[in-house]
Amino acid sequence: MADLDTPQFPFSSSLERRLEELSILYEVSCALQKTLDEERALYTILVGVTSGRGLGFNRAFVLLEENEMLRGRLAIGPSSPEEASRIWRKLRQKHQTLGEVLASINEQTIKKDFKVNAIVDRFQIALSDPEHPLVRILRSRQACRCENGVFQPMRCSADSQTLELLGVADFAVAPLFMADKELGLLIADNAITHAPLELNNLRLLQIYAQQASAALQNTRLYKDLALQISVCESANSTLRETQASRLQAERLATIGRMAAVLAHEIRTPLVSIGGFARRVLRATAAEDPRREELQIIVSEVARLERLIDQVMASTRMIQTEYRPADINELIRSVAAMLRAEISKNGVRLAFELQAGLPAIQADESQLRQALTNLIMNSLDAMPSGGSLTLGTTVEEPFVRISVSDTGAGIAQQDWGKLFTPFFTTKAEGTGLGLTVVNQVVENHRGLLQFNSTPGQGTTFEIRLAIDPEEHVASRRQQPSSPELPS
Amino acid sequence: MKTVLVVDDDKSLRRLYKVELEAEGYRVLTAENGSEARELAAEEKPDAIVMDLRMPAMDGLEAMARILRDEKRIPIILNTAYSSYQDNFLTWAADGFVIKSADLDPLKRKLREVMARASY
Repeated sequence: MADLDTPQFPFSSSLERRLEELSILYEVSCALQKTLDEERALYTILVGVTSGRGLGFNRAFVLLEENEMLRGRLAIGPSSPEEASRIWRKLRQKHQTLGEVLASINEQTIKKDFKVNAIVDRFQIALSDPEHPLVRILRSRQACRCENGVFQPMRCSADSQTLELLGVADFAVAPLFMADKELGLLIADNAITHAPLELNNLRLLQIYAQQASAALQNTRLYKDLALQISVCESANSTLRETQASRLQAERLATIGRMAAVLAHEIRTPLVSIGGFARRVLRATAAEDPRREELQIIVSEVARLERLIDQVMASTRMIQTEYRPADINELIRSVAAMLRAEISKNGVRLAFELQAGLPAIQADESQLRQALTNLIMNSLDAMPSGGSLTLGTTVEEPFVRISVSDTGAGIAQQDWGKLFTPFFTTKAEGTGLGLTVVNQVVENHRGLLQFNSTPGQGTTFEIRLAIDPEEHVASRRQQPSSPELPS
Repeated sequence: MKTVLVVDDDKSLRRLYKVELEAEGYRVLTAENGSEARELAAEEKPDAIVMDLRMPAMDGLEAMARILRDEKRIPIILNTAYSSYQDNFLTWAADGFVIKSADLDPLKRKLREVMARASY
């Protein structure tokens, strides 16, 4: 803000004046280099234009291009001679250099001079109007002076709106632009002191505007960069999550393999323990209290053997042997095999098998295992009886196999975990039953779905493709050697 | 009295099978690997062989193949902790395949079954 009573450039020699100009540009560019926030950059630019130690204009306005419009963004300057005099006196007492003034700018010191900002807010010029004097100046990329309402050296009259808003007929305009685009306009005047605009001032404003443009562009690039970085970071975090879940899957697979090896190794001593326990149990008199304890050993060993069966079944599913299979026949034979278990708790068995199903290319032993697991799950869900329905239908291009029970149903919070190895809700479960079913269905490139209503029952559905000739053929071409433990 | 040869590298299991199968009324011989089994099979001509698969020296599959070459009539039951062996077509030459379990009833049933078949 220019001192009222001090000439703006009190140097007689042009060399000294040049030095002064250079030092202003240097100070401002130093301050701008430290600024990455657009608001703060704009404020710094305007302080440089209005500071007595800077360009020394009374007021400064910045208009920026935004959505094909030139809009007023920020302004600085006193609203009356009295206010100007008070501010400038205060500033003079502080004896601050331009560098110090600029360095003291921060979020707290940015304050909007009410009157000039009310003015700048009303600047709204459509860039689509090429005849508008301010648009012409912007496009020309040349600073120019307005004298008595006429732009020099263009000799074109200022528009009435601009003259009315600024309230003065003499002011300077400098375009802000970068190589590839126009950014906006810097307008400066001496509305308070009415000091004349000198050509030198104009030239300095033009150079100054170029520096300001670069600083402004920097803040925008920085903002873009920050946005890009946040996009990259979010992509990166998605990637990390994916990696984590893959790692988790691999970890589970490793655990599965380890479990298989362990299960194999445990089986032999287990057979000894259980086998001898059975012998001792048989040789123990009926009234001997130790019978009960021996019975515990026998049944616990039997439980461990079942666990091992499940682990081995889940790891055996790697090889798949496809042959045409009669699904209805398969279901009947699995049901026959489980007859004792089914009738144990008084479960009624119903078949809803569609006659004349097309043959399915399937690995019968795997499908048998999958159906057994599903049926056993259904039976576990109906400890005090109910209905078990085994069904088949043709749903082109699939055969749909369904296992329905009228049991307890699956709690919704468990749905997502159903196929996770070792997840179980049963006291004696292994948590591998549905993992195996899922693996079998995957091996057959089928679909596995379930519907469950707590308290009403659960239906599992397996859909197998009717004619998977091609993928069967492609699978057979894969080298497969029998999995032999070493 | 029918003779059963039990082949298993686990000492405790050999003892278990011996006492359990003797209780079933068999004369029980034991061998701890494939080559010993082959010698005993040639000398004693058992009525059935219960063969573990995974053993040091000569594994059960190789032992079975050699015994079958020499003694075609002897029924062989593969008795293993590894259900995955069932996928190996070499095991299909056996007369029975039993997964090792503390419950020996399935093995005993299979033994009776193969010997009844062999006596035709």
